[in-house]
Amino acid sequence: MNGVNNVNNISMLAQQQQLQSRVKIGVRNWQNATVQDLMNFLSRTTRISVVDAMVEGPLVVGHVASRADAESLLKWNGIRFAGNNLKFEILSDSGNDGAGANSTITLLKNFLYKRYNAQTKMLDLGNLHADPDLVQKGLFSSISTQSKMFPALMKLASKEPQLVVESINLSDNNLKDISGITTLAQTFPYLKNLCLANNQISRFRTIEVWKNKFKELRELLMINNPISNDKLYRSEMMRLFPKLVILDNVMIRDEQKLTSIYSIPMKIQPFFFENNEIGPSSTDFVTNFLNFWDTDRMQLLGLYTPQSQFSISVDSSIPPSSVTESDQNPSFGYYLSHSRNISKVSSEKSIEQRLSLGPEAMSEVFRAIPKTKHHLQDMPDEYSMETVTYPQINGFIVTLHGFFEETGKPDADTNNKSSAGRSRRFNHGHNSTNNRLFKKSFDRTWVIVPTGTGVVVASEMLTVRPFAANAWVQQPGPVPQQPQPQPPLAPQIDPMNPSLNASPPPPQPQIGMGGLPVPMGVPPQQPGMPPMSAPAPAPVPMAPTLQLPLEVQTRLNPIQLELLNKLHIETKLNAEYTFMLAEQSGWNYDVAIKGFQNSVNNIPREAFIP
Amino acid sequence: MNRFGGRAGNYGSGIGSSGNVSGNSRSQVAELFVKRILTHLDDTDPSKLNEFLSIFNPNGCKVVINATPFAQPTAFLEQWETGVTQTQHALTAVDYHVIPGSNTAVFNVNCKVRFDEGGRDRLGQDASIQQNPQQPRNALNRTRPLWGSYFGVSLQLVTEERVLNNDTNGVVLAFNYNMVYKPDDSLMNIQ
Repeated sequence: MNGVNNVNNISMLAQQQQLQSRVKIGVRNWQNATVQDLMNFLSRTTRISVVDAMVEGPLVVGHVASRADAESLLKWNGIRFAGNNLKFEILSDSGNDGAGANSTITLLKNFLYKRYNAQTKMLDLGNLHADPDLVQKGLFSSISTQSKMFPALMKLASKEPQLVVESINLSDNNLKDISGITTLAQTFPYLKNLCLANNQISRFRTIEVWKNKFKELRELLMINNPISNDKLYRSEMMRLFPKLVILDNVMIRDEQKLTSIYSIPMKIQPFFFENNEIGPSSTDFVTNFLNFWDTDRMQLLGLYTPQSQFSISVDSSIPPSSVTESDQNPSFGYYLSHSRNISKVSSEKSIEQRLSLGPEAMSEVFRAIPKTKHHLQDMPDEYSMETVTYPQINGFIVTLHGFFEETGKPDADTNNKSSAGRSRRFNHGHNSTNNRLFKKSFDRTWVIVPTGTGVVVASEMLTVRPFAANAWVQQPGPVPQQPQPQPPLAPQIDPMNPSLNASPPPPQPQIGMGGLPVPMGVPPQQPGMPPMSAPAPAPVPMAPTLQLPLEVQTRLNPIQLELLNKLHIETKLNAEYTFMLAEQSGWNYDVAIKGFQNSVNNIPREAFIP
Repeated sequence: MNRFGGRAGNYGSGIGSSGNVSGNSRSQVAELFVKRILTHLDDTDPSKLNEFLSIFNPNGCKVVINATPFAQPTAFLEQWETGVTQTQHALTAVDYHVIPGSNTAVFNVNCKVRFDEGGRDRLGQDASIQQNPQQPRNALNRTRPLWGSYFGVSLQLVTEERVLNNDTNGVVLAFNYNMVYKPDDSLMNIQ
């Protein structure tokens, strides 16, 4: 760039503008001539000028003035030059690539980091006019450049994951309103502290655009703005920022009370097991069940007795659009004719018919709804489960919330069959888009009775609803989450470590598929589950020699901790190796022990507790 | 053919069990019972609490909210009353099974709930610090709730079968209430 110290800002801006709209293009198959020949040929034939051309690999890379030029150049694809057909391609869009824009971006990025304090998580954008770097580049000398500066800085800041910003200082910037800085709310929605002191903001209306935006704003400083003398100033700021605690260094809200109003005391957790015994067995059950549900549903029929019940209920209510990833246009075509949602289905006859009693009736419904894929193993965080004992039947009740993908149409499409029979009456406006396959969220409840050999499902209810991101994931707060390898919820085998895989789990699940069904209501042979006495899930007592680093311990669930403990006591391996063993065997105790026994002679001495 | 047979079997079983007039009203009773529970959850009148409590079985009812267990229904109701702002539930799906031989029924319910996000608790008090304490508080003249966006809820109930005969006294044996989706624009914090 030739205008580094150019006093004439307008011409520099114009030039910058031009550079920013440039488009990078590439030309292939030019090899039989020089680059200059190619350029001359192009400008002569296409009347499009390509500048800053140079050779990059097989391509000649250059820039044209605009997107339109680039597109019209594409129309010349195949034109003969020096014995070859030329091929044009657009390599990148405007802006980021032009040399001029690039250097401005680098300059602003460096500026951002200069003004950022990682310790206090504070981005200081105060008094920008006095910044020597910015002044020297002429970036803050006129109103028009200044109004572009803030959005540009915001945009850049939002693309820098290292900038974790809780506080922003925008004092002393001669701001008359916030129109130039409104994007602050998009870039830092979880901002906690904002300083706008020593500006000229005078009207509430300009701030109104931030209503409902900074939901976590705790402190606001606006002293030395005309607005702060207004009678309504305090109440307006409290209205705009519902969680504001400190305004101009004065406490305006009781923080403790505020926190209790805006939080629900029952914090959400992904798992609850009434006692330690039913945790692993219900996890196993659900994992195996859904595996078969996805691959071969008919295999599951052995779990039901003639008295077992199954029904589907469609909850077609659309989640608010502010729910992450929520499906705003779900289709329930395959399910609706089976839905037993009694708040929607008024015909008592249908309610009766849609309850499947016994394996035969169930197999029909199973075949009439889409094929699915659940992701319990590869995406365990997407599922949540509660298990409580059910003393009246000497069993337990398992509820799983999560999502599945619809991977294929049902084997038996009852929809089509029935509509063929009564096409004239019911087929108005029926179209196949109602049967679009997508992912769905679901809630599924099993009432399970253990028998001597396995289990029987006494009752099963499935709610299918529009897909929506689940509520139990951590909120995307201001702190970026460290990507941590999540241990799988259910057994997984590590193909990389055959020595530990010596005994793969049997293909048949251990829940006693096809085990003899017992009549309902008869006390089963197994001792009943102990009733719920201690309400809180008690922390697993760990062996004193098993010293896990805290950050490892906190991301393990109680089942995993218990498994580690058991393995540790059994194998006398130290914490690190116990963890490795557990992880490599997919958190399956039997696999782990087998693997340990098979490779015990090869394990180094230091792997054991001294 | 197969389908025909299956359907006939189903129909027959419906007739065979109590698929008559009483059966007709049972699913309506079931739905009304669930609606009644949701109404209780939304009620801000503390004097109605005992009525709500009477629904839960006095000898060991399991209450799990957002995977957090409560030893007693009273502990749950107290926390709901004092720690959660006014709510509004809307029923979206109900299904239920009577488990033969156990005298119990299982309910699978879906609903949505929104919270008063106007910054006031159930008693109408906000968190603001008065500038001059002489000024009378307006806590008593209740302002209208400022409803936020809807959360999704999945609720499972285990009850005694007599609930379907309109007997609600001490019928709830297990109450499992979990939020399944949450709107990003809500001010409520559930984490």
